[in-house]
Amino acid sequence: MQKYTFVIDIQYKSNVRDPRGETIKRVLNDEYSIPVTSLRLGKSIHLEIEAESEEVALELVKKACKELLVNTVTETFEVRKL
Amino acid sequence: MSLPKAQVIVYPGSNCDRDALWACKYVGFDAEFVDIHSDVNADLLVLPGGFSYGDYLRVGAVAAREPIAQKIRDFANHGGLVIGICNGFQILVEMGLLDGALLQNSNGRFISKIVELEITDTSTPFTNYYLKGERIRLPIAHGFGRYVKTREVNAVLKYTSDINGSDEFIAGIVNSNKNVFGLMPHPERAMEKLLGSDDGLRVFLSAFNYIKNHGGVRA
Repeated sequence: MQKYTFVIDIQYKSNVRDPRGETIKRVLNDEYSIPVTSLRLGKSIHLEIEAESEEVALELVKKACKELLVNTVTETFEVRKL
Repeated sequence: MSLPKAQVIVYPGSNCDRDALWACKYVGFDAEFVDIHSDVNADLLVLPGGFSYGDYLRVGAVAAREPIAQKIRDFANHGGLVIGICNGFQILVEMGLLDGALLQNSNGRFISKIVELEITDTSTPFTNYYLKGERIRLPIAHGFGRYVKTREVNAVLKYTSDINGSDEFIAGIVNSNKNVFGLMPHPERAMEKLLGSDDGLRVFLSAFNYIKNHGGVRA
């Protein structure tokens, strides 16, 4: 068994409002005059997993996303190997 | 016939469980607390408000996957009455027993106040003591109450103005069988005029009398 490390990037779908992101964008615009035109605040999960191969590990990570980590009704996700 | 029985599920982080138990007993239920490892043996299940598991990951997400979840699902599929209040509503949505999603309020803030609501469906076991179109006042206390529709739903309760950005001002819905009810306002905190409103009392009275008249599903 080998250990693999992955990063899961979770974002709200583009049609879902993100009040936290809007607030952070507004502060950057208004308080710091930084011309950010769009800001979305998602989640990033770093995890380490034991598996026989990288393929198996990736499948398990995707399973974890669909079963628990991501609400696929409102969120999308991407998995990257570190 | 013995008294209709209610079970209030206490998750780690629930904080409206005592009010919910009191409300059930007040209208006549034989009511008790159960936890995530308990068996379901009731005519009414109450998923109370609070912050189950600190609402880590997503609101209601972890509670929706505890051992009792499958028992709640079986109970609901057999026609048992289930009410999820606030965090309980969020848990029912995460379990997939109710459609849609509950996201952060559109103004980004936690909102705690008494709001005006309209009863839009009186054909459910939880609202048959109200009049259709009746306006009532119930407390809300939530940061993540913005209801997002993913398909047409049976709205039972709507805010009369835009409170948190919910689609169509939706505050509470039932499933297609109308035996699973989820709502963000707190009827269990509005049981006596002394506390600002007794408009929540009839939710529990409706459920109690529905069970008395139709019989419960308890084995």
